[in-house]
Amino acid sequence: MKLTRRKLVAGTALAALATQFPVRMALAQDKQVLFSFPQDFTKIYTFVTSEYSQGQRDYISLVNGRGGINGYKIVAEVSDHANDQPRAIEAYERAKSQGAVLIDPLSTPVARALVPRVLEDKINMITAFSGRSDAADGTVFPYVLPMSPNYWTQAGLLVDYFKQQDGGSLQGKTICFVHIDTPFGKEPLPIFENLAAREGFTFKAFPYTPPGNDQSAIWPQVRRARPDWTVFWGAAVGQTVALTEAVRNGLDMSRVSSSVWLSESDMDVVGRDQTVGVMKVEPCASGRDPKVIQDILAEVVGKGQGAGPEDKVGTSYYNYGVMMAALMLEGVRRATEIAPDGPVTGDWLNAGLTSITDFTAEGLIPPTTVTPEDHQGGGMGRIARWNGEKFEPATDWYQANQDVVWEQIHKYSAEFKATGK
Amino acid sequence: MFFRRAGISHTRYQQERQLWPLPIDRLTVLAVLAFLIAAPFILDRLYIVSYLLPLIIWSSAALGLNLLMGGAGQIHLGYGAVIGIGAYTAVHMMRAGIPFELAMIGGGLAAGAIGIVFGASALRIKGLYLAMATLAMQYIVDFVIVQFPAISGGSQASLQVPPVSFLGFPIQGDRTPYYVALFICAMITLFMLNVRRTSFGRALVAIREKDYAASIIGVDPFRYKLLAFWVSSFVGGLMGAVLATCYYRAISPDQFHLDLSIQLVAMVIVGGLGSVLGVFFGVSLILFAPILLNQTIALVADTTGLTLPMDLRAHLPLMLYGGLIMGFLLLEPLGLAKIYSNIRNYFLVWPFRHSRQ
Amino acid sequence: MDVILLAELAINGVFVGLMYALLAAGIVLIYKTSGIANLAQGALAMTGAYVVVMLAGGLGLSMWLAIPLAMAVMFLVGALIERVALRRMIGQPVIMVIMLTIGLEIFLRGLLPGLFGASVKRLDLGIPNAPLFLGDLLLSRALLIGGGVSLALIVLAILFFNSRLGVIMRAVSDNQTASWSVGIRVERAIAIAWGLSATMATTSGVLWGATQGVDWSLSLLLIKALAIAILGGLDSMVGVLIAGVLVGLAESMATGILDPIVGGGTRDVVASVIIVLTLLLRPHGLFGREHIERV
Repeated sequence: MKLTRRKLVAGTALAALATQFPVRMALAQDKQVLFSFPQDFTKIYTFVTSEYSQGQRDYISLVNGRGGINGYKIVAEVSDHANDQPRAIEAYERAKSQGAVLIDPLSTPVARALVPRVLEDKINMITAFSGRSDAADGTVFPYVLPMSPNYWTQAGLLVDYFKQQDGGSLQGKTICFVHIDTPFGKEPLPIFENLAAREGFTFKAFPYTPPGNDQSAIWPQVRRARPDWTVFWGAAVGQTVALTEAVRNGLDMSRVSSSVWLSESDMDVVGRDQTVGVMKVEPCASGRDPKVIQDILAEVVGKGQGAGPEDKVGTSYYNYGVMMAALMLEGVRRATEIAPDGPVTGDWLNAGLTSITDFTAEGLIPPTTVTPEDHQGGGMGRIARWNGEKFEPATDWYQANQDVVWEQIHKYSAEFKATGK
Repeated sequence: MFFRRAGISHTRYQQERQLWPLPIDRLTVLAVLAFLIAAPFILDRLYIVSYLLPLIIWSSAALGLNLLMGGAGQIHLGYGAVIGIGAYTAVHMMRAGIPFELAMIGGGLAAGAIGIVFGASALRIKGLYLAMATLAMQYIVDFVIVQFPAISGGSQASLQVPPVSFLGFPIQGDRTPYYVALFICAMITLFMLNVRRTSFGRALVAIREKDYAASIIGVDPFRYKLLAFWVSSFVGGLMGAVLATCYYRAISPDQFHLDLSIQLVAMVIVGGLGSVLGVFFGVSLILFAPILLNQTIALVADTTGLTLPMDLRAHLPLMLYGGLIMGFLLLEPLGLAKIYSNIRNYFLVWPFRHSRQ
Repeated sequence: MDVILLAELAINGVFVGLMYALLAAGIVLIYKTSGIANLAQGALAMTGAYVVVMLAGGLGLSMWLAIPLAMAVMFLVGALIERVALRRMIGQPVIMVIMLTIGLEIFLRGLLPGLFGASVKRLDLGIPNAPLFLGDLLLSRALLIGGGVSLALIVLAILFFNSRLGVIMRAVSDNQTASWSVGIRVERAIAIAWGLSATMATTSGVLWGATQGVDWSLSLLLIKALAIAILGGLDSMVGVLIAGVLVGLAESMATGILDPIVGGGTRDVVASVIIVLTLLLRPHGLFGREHIERV
């Protein structure tokens, strides 16, 4: 068959039409809870999304395979929004039309753009490790749920750990903060500045232009600042380049740390043995030891129903996915306990999500309690160090500097309430 | 069939100079307009809020760029920044309590004022070199927006649009924003259709073909190049305000990045440079092809039980999308508007193969 | 201001600039022969890096075998792209051809991560990361080697244009019809230009991939490379070399001196401003040939 102009045009038009028929096919069945996971598989967040999504889907398969939650099946619609807001809005509106009660876009720009819509439509939006940090204030953002330590908390955890390591005082020390020059990268600045004033350390920030593939002019300055501790804050290529440059500038790896965005594959890129000692904030355990991951290996992956390659099971980002899915499904479980017969709406699930109490996902995550006021879930995490093979926890689950964090949260959420910033 | 041209003879110049000289074209336009007006009542809301609304907003913005690129032949790689200037100006004005209608004009004026400064470089630089100069504008505007919390809205870098109304109708819900955008889009489209018939439009064409030659026949390139930049930036700024108010409802710097600029340039080129109709086709293709291709792949994979690796499944639409752009350009290098006009010409004389002209 | 820091920044800047210039040189090569700005150059660099990773990781070849092999493969890929897509667009408006290369860029960005995985892949050239001190001055080996290789290749490209094939290409770029009439195989010359350009892109993909890992973001190098090519003058190899060094230096200095004052990443802005000002003074870039317009 020869491809002609006419066939190309007609074929394209037909294919476009054909996709629109099944819009509402998924609706009819009862006793199901529809989640929508439009995520960025092809643009900025490629570094995390495929593993994160794999973890989410495997956990949902695990629960569905055991018969669902009190009779409810979980259906997750996964799609790609490529970090493009019109596409994300399309996916969101589609999900809304199909009756989804929860959306997890896993992208800071998209989450920010969807905030006015979810508040109006009463659909729960999960903004784990993304979105606005002040969304932790549930009274202002009732339908936006980070349910994970936000960036401010992560910064607070790191500073507290540095303080512990330096014998309880950071007086006269220097902390360098190398960050990507976007709203996401600039977010932790107020926390560091407040803590610098309180703890008496010198704080120096070094912004780099996105995407951060060349930071050769940044790190010589960091080296000269003679930091006691260095924190690098970025994502994707910016993280691996930052780490490479840190190694090249001879910084002491055991005094360099990242936010939650650091994984085994980053270590592969930089070199597993060259980065021994580097730290990250862990919101949940990594590796295959936690019972949930073992269950997934046995009941999902073992039966050939895994959503992706088996060797990715148990990586940091995979476990983040499991963590978030576990929290979402715990929310569903609570919701079915509060109102067993539904109806399944955003409010129904919201009541469940905001009554999660001391949930640990069988040892995967720190005890998490989400209340209608605190959508962050307590802000517990731990510091882990890379030992050349895997991330090893250096501390127990702990929480720190929450007073400073909440001061910021209230400041910005009040501003949002008053002026919509 | 549909487009019979037989029996239509114009007896006065005025008749032939109409926007749509053939009755069938007038009918088509009316039908499309009627459909667009009735759409919120016959289509599902999903199609209004996430297909038709972005389509008309992006098309209106792309029309402004089309005037510059197709009309005056000047490449602009910073049009996203122009839209951003308009959006930020308008949102700040609305937050200060100025009504939407005025804020919209204000956004347009601000974008026009800054756009013309960068347009000034077009007086000396041409072609790809001009693309670079306008790209620089994109970077500078991005930088200014991100670096000044007073503009971007503080550490969350997100500004909500306050509730506003247009000519007395509050812009909220699904339908009003759509009608507001449709009204403005109709105005801009009419302007763009007519601009080619004015002395201004003809001067732009002269400059597009060769600016030296234009100045020899008395068209002042200085004046008309700047004017072209001003008009197109004004439209961009105006649409920035509409985009923020009717569609996004909260603006952040990343909405107006280089990606948007490249996207708009692609829309204009794929549609067919200089064609008003082509812009609408180009916008549909660039805006919706990725979404529809994703759904097609998902549908095919789900119904046939085909298990693709996740990476492949996620990237297949991107491949097809790139392939589609290449395919259309290889098969019809003059853009989608040319494909439409080929089809139209075919039916104009159908069932015969050739027309006499 | 600390002099040694400035020296370090300057050295880093020059070498990084050279690495950018290598990709820009590929753009110039194609522009010089066929008058098209290839906006898929970044995607070609990504493709080349992926091919190297696949040959080395997938087939287990040693790096020193994988890289030349990948360069050969990419030469064919480049020539194939010209044969299948670009040749059919001869005689069409230039802007449409440029759009075609954007389509190609999107296509490649879907194809390679789709086939070989989107997660970041390691590309290890075996350059030690350990710091190299020259007195108080720290030099990065990876940058030195990357910049050095880039410099060598660009010089080679400059010399190439004086060889027989190079002269043919210059003739083609001057006037395709006239070249035809004296017996030059124009299509072949353009195909070779594409092949060579893809090979240069591969080298640059490998050099950058060694630092940042290999994934789709390598294709983002395009914007900077294009800026350098335009600053130097789209049809001048020497211009690319000098513009690369200039831009690299300016960016590095801006990061070192301006950033602490402004409190934000200024390098893109500073580079942009310099480019615009230069273009206002020299509308065809630093070394670009004045385009004679006939009315």
